[in-house]
Amino acid sequence: MAEQHHSAADPAAGQPLLRAESLTRHFRVGGTFSSETLHAVDAVDLTVNEREIVALVGESGSGKSTIARLLAGIHKPTAGEIYYRGRPLRGLRSRKDMLWYRGEVGMVFQDPFSAFNPVHRISHGIMRNLKLHRPELSAAERRAEAERVSDRVGLSPRLLSRFPHEMSGGERQRIGFAQALALRPKLILADEPVSMLDVSIRAGILNLMVKLRETEDVSLLYITHDLASARYVADRILVMYAGKIAESGPTESVLADPQHPYTRLLLSAVADPLDADPEFAADTGEPPRVINPGEGCRFRWRCPFAIDACHTVTPQPRRIGDSDVACHVAGEPATHAAGAAGSL
Amino acid sequence: MPGSELEAPDSGARAARRRELPRLLKAITTSRKATIGTLILLVIVFVAAFPGLIAPDNPQAISYTPNAGVSWSHVLGTTSLGQDVFSQLLWSTRQTLIVTLLVSAIATFLSTFVGVTAAYLGGVADRAITIVTDVFLILPVLPLLILLAAYLPPGVTSLTIVLCITSWAFQARQLRAQGLSLRNRDFLVSAKVRGERSLYIIFAEIVPTMTSLLAASFLSLAVYVVGFAASLQFLGLGNSGQLMWGTMLYNAQQQSALESGNIWWELAPGFAVALLGAGFALLNYAFDEIGNPALRPVKKKRAARRSLPRRSRP
Amino acid sequence: MSTPPALLEVQGLTIEYLTDAAAVRAVDAVSFSVNAGEFVGIVGESGCGKSTMLFGIAQLLSPPGEVTAGSVTFRGRDMVRLSAGELRHMRWRDFSVVMQSAMNALNPMKSIGAQFRDALLAHERMPADRVKERSAEVLTLVGIDPVHLHSYPHQLSGGMRQRAMIAMALLFTPQLVVMDEPTSALDVVAQRSLMLKIRELQERLGFAVIFVTHDMHVVNRYSDRVLVMYAGQVVETAPTEQLFGQPRHPYSRGLIEAFPSVTGPRRELVGIPGSPPDLAEPIKGCRFRERCPVAFAACAEIEPALIDVEGAQVRCLLYSDAGVVGERERSGAPSDG
Repeated sequence: MAEQHHSAADPAAGQPLLRAESLTRHFRVGGTFSSETLHAVDAVDLTVNEREIVALVGESGSGKSTIARLLAGIHKPTAGEIYYRGRPLRGLRSRKDMLWYRGEVGMVFQDPFSAFNPVHRISHGIMRNLKLHRPELSAAERRAEAERVSDRVGLSPRLLSRFPHEMSGGERQRIGFAQALALRPKLILADEPVSMLDVSIRAGILNLMVKLRETEDVSLLYITHDLASARYVADRILVMYAGKIAESGPTESVLADPQHPYTRLLLSAVADPLDADPEFAADTGEPPRVINPGEGCRFRWRCPFAIDACHTVTPQPRRIGDSDVACHVAGEPATHAAGAAGSL
Repeated sequence: MPGSELEAPDSGARAARRRELPRLLKAITTSRKATIGTLILLVIVFVAAFPGLIAPDNPQAISYTPNAGVSWSHVLGTTSLGQDVFSQLLWSTRQTLIVTLLVSAIATFLSTFVGVTAAYLGGVADRAITIVTDVFLILPVLPLLILLAAYLPPGVTSLTIVLCITSWAFQARQLRAQGLSLRNRDFLVSAKVRGERSLYIIFAEIVPTMTSLLAASFLSLAVYVVGFAASLQFLGLGNSGQLMWGTMLYNAQQQSALESGNIWWELAPGFAVALLGAGFALLNYAFDEIGNPALRPVKKKRAARRSLPRRSRP
Repeated sequence: MSTPPALLEVQGLTIEYLTDAAAVRAVDAVSFSVNAGEFVGIVGESGCGKSTMLFGIAQLLSPPGEVTAGSVTFRGRDMVRLSAGELRHMRWRDFSVVMQSAMNALNPMKSIGAQFRDALLAHERMPADRVKERSAEVLTLVGIDPVHLHSYPHQLSGGMRQRAMIAMALLFTPQLVVMDEPTSALDVVAQRSLMLKIRELQERLGFAVIFVTHDMHVVNRYSDRVLVMYAGQVVETAPTEQLFGQPRHPYSRGLIEAFPSVTGPRRELVGIPGSPPDLAEPIKGCRFRERCPVAFAACAEIEPALIDVEGAQVRCLLYSDAGVVGERERSGAPSDG
């Protein structure tokens, strides 16, 4: 658990808020008699500390949304465990226990158009959250609380009686955060909250996330495919590829000096063409194989530095500088020298 | 729960809400079929509610010449017992309508519950429920009827039971399909993440989004029930003393009305059944258009603007 | 000295959605031109009219959308006024279209080769072996092994499908290819790879491209010239370097600054709070004023015209005398090109 020793914002408590250990989720694909398994998430270690914003970055098929759903309790892990404040989720059996966890961890969804039931007012989710998770409140207190959280996300309480189709995408995403805040959670799982919004509106939501971390004493797990926005909001960044964590560490170190070839590929794809890493110029972005992948590094098919070991031994995370990198060749002079000059 | 949310004064939202009901009315009035259907139903409901206002006689009064032909005092003639057919027809409306609506409501509820639950639960539960649904779907109705007729006392209750059992399964499949399409919508995942119970999600989150589909289901079911109830009664399942169109058919048939020339006694209830069925079917068109905006007619404003002229086709 | 006529000349193009309820002017008197071999990027956010305009240019509008004013002159002929038969002759031969999502545009029931054949035979009588030859040729052009002529769309990755779409658009080597956000559904690495390929093909085959997108980065890297659209109008147009080096219109500036960057110093992101105006309602003055950080009194009264400013064109009162009125623009008179 390299994640445990290293946490930039290490609070006095010492114990991480959320810790996933060897988290795995497979799906059976094909017919009833098929032996094909889709390894959506494989042996992922992940930590989120208090008052921290962690970005989980990956492309489609990387498994990042599956992780969000595992952490939200929508799927059960095939293997591995999730510990919230030290308690394993597997141990939460009764409805009371599950409700407790759901009151601690809220979720914001990607699509503001389908995240709200069109027949209910936009305040429906907030009110239900309050009823289910803060039953001690009276009706008047609930109303006051709904107004408070909508204020916190920068919306006038007048909007609460509207229907979803009467509001813009940006307003709806803010309500999504308000809904999560109504729980008074310790952790908010934000699954690509800005990817379906217009660019001019995204800044508002990104700034909101940073603000909430300060004012609401909440941590955020920001799931995205966009490195740039991850850089903007996150303290730590985890780069996922084909269901595994390729590299993780403090945002600035990972982006300034990426170690894993996949991280370098991603950076070169978004960088200025003049600065782009020539090693990765030819990559066409073919998605990885996650069905019965077998042993070995899953990036080896596209990696310009792959060696024999990459085909037979699955790399485990090891510490290089401030980051943890799951790669056999990272850190070697041959792979590093070509890249360091190109990335900023 | 609806209604308990913040009711902050907001003219924008209110105005939008006000548009919902008129939209239904507009859908009904713009579609000629739906308008006709609604009118038919309104007339029938009126007759069911106030039969005494129109019917000239007590339907069961055996006071006239039996099998009298059509005349001004008996527009549809009389039965073999001397009852006025027209009055009987009108007075039978209420019971017929009640049974139809009751059965449709129960069956719609059953099919909604079963269909949506199957879709929501998925996996093994879904398959089990679907098998049960399919069994009910392919139940041979007539043999079932004969069986039930032997055990159940003839009458409206048995009729209702039999109809409910045999009619819910069809719509269940359709509603399950709709439920499946909604299954992974984010707002349902959101409900699950906040810890809602399954029953709550089914009835408070999924079903409310299906209201126009449910209305259409209800109406299609009503068409089926009207005809089938009459058929069952015609075959003798009903209680011949009951005042319903189906029992009129039965009685008329028993007295060989057609052969003896008293045709209206047999035909009139048949037409009435067809009319009621048509009313439901026509009204259904309005819901088709509401439910699927793609079916709404797209009218272009031609008067104010002219589109640019193109060269004529060679 | 005469310059060659532009390949495509759009003049005062106005597209409206005419329904019982309202007439929504989705594109308002837009004028621009595209020269041979040029890569023109059209940038804007949802509701700005860029996709509608693209459909209008390609003559793919269906009711209730209609071109109600202006012209689209392609190689000297006004496409808006052509008959269906004449248009069909031009389609795919002289200009072709690449849509946003290949999965929506490709028939999932037919192999790639079958769809190429359909496209070829729809526009020209061709012997079977020539069909096969040409199909293999275009697939190789875009970097796909011709063996995939037998593949079905779902068997290809997203990036490959988009390439197949582009290959299909190049079957007759048209002079103009119009693309509607072809990379939006792709991940960033596939996107870059596809854009590089498009540029490479463009340089090789010499066709012009109109590329509609919301992504400023893509436009910055790959286009020669940029049009920025907002609420149905062009608010700024300039050569790419000039636009990104010195954005003039407050919206262009805001949009460029709304993109966080992976490299360089971290700065506060501001974005452009608010929403675009409702185009069903009549708008007085500048359409961007409600969200503009530097709007002043006149912006609410006068609708700015598109004005030349040192090689660019900007629609903003900041660059015109306050007295200039936008009437000339609104009447559709050809003012710019």
